[in-house]
Amino acid sequence: MSAVVSQLGTRTAVAARDLVKVYGKGDTAVRALAGVSVSFAAGEFTAIMGPSGSGKSTLMHCLAGLDTVDGGSVHIGDTDITHLGDRELTRLRRDRIGFVFQAFNLLPTLTARQNILLGLELAGRKADQAWLDTIVDTLGLRERLDHRPTELSGGQQQRVACARALVARPDVVFADEPTGNLDSRSGAEVLDFLRMSVRRLNQTVIMVTHDPVAASYADRVVLIADGALAGEITQPTADSVLAALAHLGA
Amino acid sequence: MLATILAGLRARAARLVLSSLAIALGVAFVTGTQVLGAALDANARDGLARHARNVDARITVDAAEPGQSTLVSPETLAAVRRAPEVAAADGRAYREVPLLDGAGKAVPAVAVALETDQRLRTADPVQGHLPTGPTEIAMQDRTAATRGLTVGQQVTLLGTDDQPRTFTLVGTYQQALTRSSLYTSDQVLLLPEALAAFADQPGFTEVVAVAAAGVSQEQLVRALSAVATQPGVAVTTGAAYTQQLLDTFGSQAGQITYILTGFALVALVVAALVIYNTFTILVAQRTRELALLRCVGADRGQVFRAVLAEAVAMGLVAALFGLGGGVGVSALLQLSLGAFGGAAVPAVRTPVSLTTVLTALGVGVLVTVLAAVLPARRATRVPPVAAMRGQPDSSGEVARTSGWRVAAALLLALAGAGALVLGGRINNETSITVTGAGTMLVLCAAVTLGPLLVGPVNRVLGALPALLLGVPAKLAAANAGRNPRRTAATMAALMIGVTVVSMVNVVATSAKATVDAEIDQQLPADYTITSSLYDRALPTALADQLAALDEVATAAPTRTGDIRVDGAAENAAGHLWLMGVGDGVIGTLVRPETATGQLGSLGPDELAISEQAAKRTGLAVGSTVPAVAVSTESQGDGPRRDLRVVAVYRDASGLGDALVGMDTFTGLHPEQTGYDSIMVKLADGVSPQAGRAAVERVTAATPIARIDSAAETKAELGGQLDQLLAFVWALVGLAVVIALFGITNTLTLSVLERTRESALLRALGLTRGQLRLMLVVEAVLMALMGSVLGLVLGIGCGWVMTESLSSAQTQMLFTVPYGQTGVLLLGAVVAAVLSSALPARRAARSSVVAAMATA
Repeated sequence: MSAVVSQLGTRTAVAARDLVKVYGKGDTAVRALAGVSVSFAAGEFTAIMGPSGSGKSTLMHCLAGLDTVDGGSVHIGDTDITHLGDRELTRLRRDRIGFVFQAFNLLPTLTARQNILLGLELAGRKADQAWLDTIVDTLGLRERLDHRPTELSGGQQQRVACARALVARPDVVFADEPTGNLDSRSGAEVLDFLRMSVRRLNQTVIMVTHDPVAASYADRVVLIADGALAGEITQPTADSVLAALAHLGA
Repeated sequence: MLATILAGLRARAARLVLSSLAIALGVAFVTGTQVLGAALDANARDGLARHARNVDARITVDAAEPGQSTLVSPETLAAVRRAPEVAAADGRAYREVPLLDGAGKAVPAVAVALETDQRLRTADPVQGHLPTGPTEIAMQDRTAATRGLTVGQQVTLLGTDDQPRTFTLVGTYQQALTRSSLYTSDQVLLLPEALAAFADQPGFTEVVAVAAAGVSQEQLVRALSAVATQPGVAVTTGAAYTQQLLDTFGSQAGQITYILTGFALVALVVAALVIYNTFTILVAQRTRELALLRCVGADRGQVFRAVLAEAVAMGLVAALFGLGGGVGVSALLQLSLGAFGGAAVPAVRTPVSLTTVLTALGVGVLVTVLAAVLPARRATRVPPVAAMRGQPDSSGEVARTSGWRVAAALLLALAGAGALVLGGRINNETSITVTGAGTMLVLCAAVTLGPLLVGPVNRVLGALPALLLGVPAKLAAANAGRNPRRTAATMAALMIGVTVVSMVNVVATSAKATVDAEIDQQLPADYTITSSLYDRALPTALADQLAALDEVATAAPTRTGDIRVDGAAENAAGHLWLMGVGDGVIGTLVRPETATGQLGSLGPDELAISEQAAKRTGLAVGSTVPAVAVSTESQGDGPRRDLRVVAVYRDASGLGDALVGMDTFTGLHPEQTGYDSIMVKLADGVSPQAGRAAVERVTAATPIARIDSAAETKAELGGQLDQLLAFVWALVGLAVVIALFGITNTLTLSVLERTRESALLRALGLTRGQLRLMLVVEAVLMALMGSVLGLVLGIGCGWVMTESLSSAQTQMLFTVPYGQTGVLLLGAVVAAVLSSALPARRAARSSVVAAMATA
């Protein structure tokens, strides 16, 4: 089950080869990832799915350089990030990766605008004003820019997180259960935006989710079970994803 | 419930360690003070007991008639020795005898007569032996050490005729460490017959006797009362003497302990702030846990008691550590007090009484519990439903209460300023208490206002680092300002210490600047020759010799003495401290600022008087007043003269109450044969070096002559000032250390609270270094807020103090010591960086993924 999954003809944004991640030592060791090889094309919206404990979050953490790996390699673009030090990894995340987490995406001390521009400021870069306006208007955040996170609804907070992830035009956006804490309408808004950013802006998005409806917004679904690749679905629908999951015994 | 509390304590032990340290330090200070006090008491009692050791009866002159000696005569001693009831008797006497130092200059010392009978001796030899012959001398070990003398060397004392007498140092002895050890002058021991050569009046301050076998103390007293026929003598039993010594001691006790207790209080207040902060943060962090307790059926009272029980346990443990630490502190203080004189250190005592233990535990627990009451009340307001919600950001809402806060702070500040003004105006011991209370009130006002000040102050202080260090500093400023109450409590701890130090600093520096200016303005002499012994005047020939020098333009002698004006009754108001000055001195070497009248030169029976003295006596320019000289030596009145007031001058230190010409003075005080001081003005074009050399050449032959220059006088004042400040620094230092623990504590708890936030920042591209920098800047901001507010308050209070100390006569020069203030700020920044090291390390070390996972 270590087939390299890729689409010929398109540039590869992120690729993992024989990825191994082990938690604990000796008898208590758990192989969270047991040799996963997978690649993600640029300009594609991919969902990673799997039952609880399947290793899907671990896979994302390793792909994004948030966690170290015990074997194999991860490439983002042409960069092998497996052997980068903490400083280089931090710079890579800052300059080339966008994040949207399930919850606690924003710093409570900063306004929405400051949160959106945080990554750019850390990199010492200026925001592209036109691009910022596009994102802010698309997400309908214009009126909320000077509010602090506590004054925003859950959906608004997640949209601010999306804006922050996209404003620096990263090579890839990782989204970890971005709709996990939202009602279905707010969730749909966030997913619509992520899909739109891929279709219209040619952004690469990799999303971890356990929700078949959320997964159906993606171009492709990668299934993970017991730390290994368990198949994939292209042009998924909620029903096809549900069926595939049922097949996995989730 | 108890099981829950204990489990909670175990789980949070690490988080409580730092704040426990704050309490432990405060308690250590209190205990240390008490133990030191008790140790000094015990030492003093031992020292006193030596005086009463083996004494069965004591004879003193209690009721001397005016003009009569207060000493027990040698005849009385001889009569006592002849009495059959007496086994041994000795006269105890001491004289102030100048000791010549290495440079041949006289320094004040006290010579004590060695008791002839072994049983009645009070000194314990350390080295060598006590004097056995008339040319032998023993020296207190402290004196020997400071003068650099060893057994076998020669020691020279100055006789009443100013002739040196040489003795051989045969031993050193030790006296118990007492409170007075810090200030007593050098001490030597001579045989009584050797001491007699230095006495102008024979006699003893007391005669002590040992009873013969079978004679009771009462019988001895009866027998001696019959024998001692000298008028005014009193005979008491040895037992009564012991009791009397202990009583005198008790009444004068407490000075050092009193001051130390004041500083211990400051330390405890600071510690309480740290504890308050800790519990507030802990309660905020445990919102969900407390809500869960409520969900499973705990009522508000139980939650309240649970938090307080935690405080009690913590206070108790911390107080126990503090108790141990305090005993150590006291031992260290005793060692350093002993080492003060460079002599061998007497045995360190650490008497720990039950009171000390109970005080330590009581203070520790009480302060902790009081500090925890407010957070505990807040804990009871957590609704059960909070268990279901996410962990809220524990930012405090301040705006709701700001009106009350401002009003309360204003009231406190006004009361404090009033107390400060009052403290400056009062002229006695209560002044320091009132001033202290005023400072405390102003501090309370600042602490109350603190949460409102944090926002604006933080914005101002945070601007520069944000500009220099970019995003991490901006985030740090936002973090420092996010919870104003927490930041306010953290910085308040430091603010208190800095306020006390800077206030003392400003007042002391201002006082020095004022005196310096006065010296420059009113006494412009290049050198002033004075006697190093207060009871020995300078020979008149010295003034002539100095005046004869080519390098000297003027040598102006002065005399001082007491007069009573207006034939007034025996009260202090009628007394004037008079200074006699030579011709042509006023306006050149003595330049008082004239308020009314003309002060050119003072003719016969003409008087110039200071404003204060004029007000006291009701004299004005033009009034003529009968004056009577009051002599210190003979009890009776001296000559009388009618004096005419020609001028009133502004008060100045060193000029006395009134000035007269030298002839007028001699008319009033003919018994004065020498001069108090000789002011020297060098001729134009003479270099200070050449001038000094010439003056030194002439004064070399006079051991008691001491040369002071204005510059030296100022330097001496500066030295005294530095000593005072060093003392205050050492004491306030502890409060500052506790405050820094507070910063570490707040940061550590904040870092724990913001684990996920830090992880998010790391995920978004904040490097480890930047994360550390962020926390360092946050600590520096908190420290700066505390120090800057403390400086503003301290300098403000100092200004109020100097203003209230100023009168119409003397305007205090308000002076801010910029250099030391700068050092203080720099120190605060460095200390903040240090105190943030641990929390910053911890925050930077945690893995991003693990931190994201924590709920």
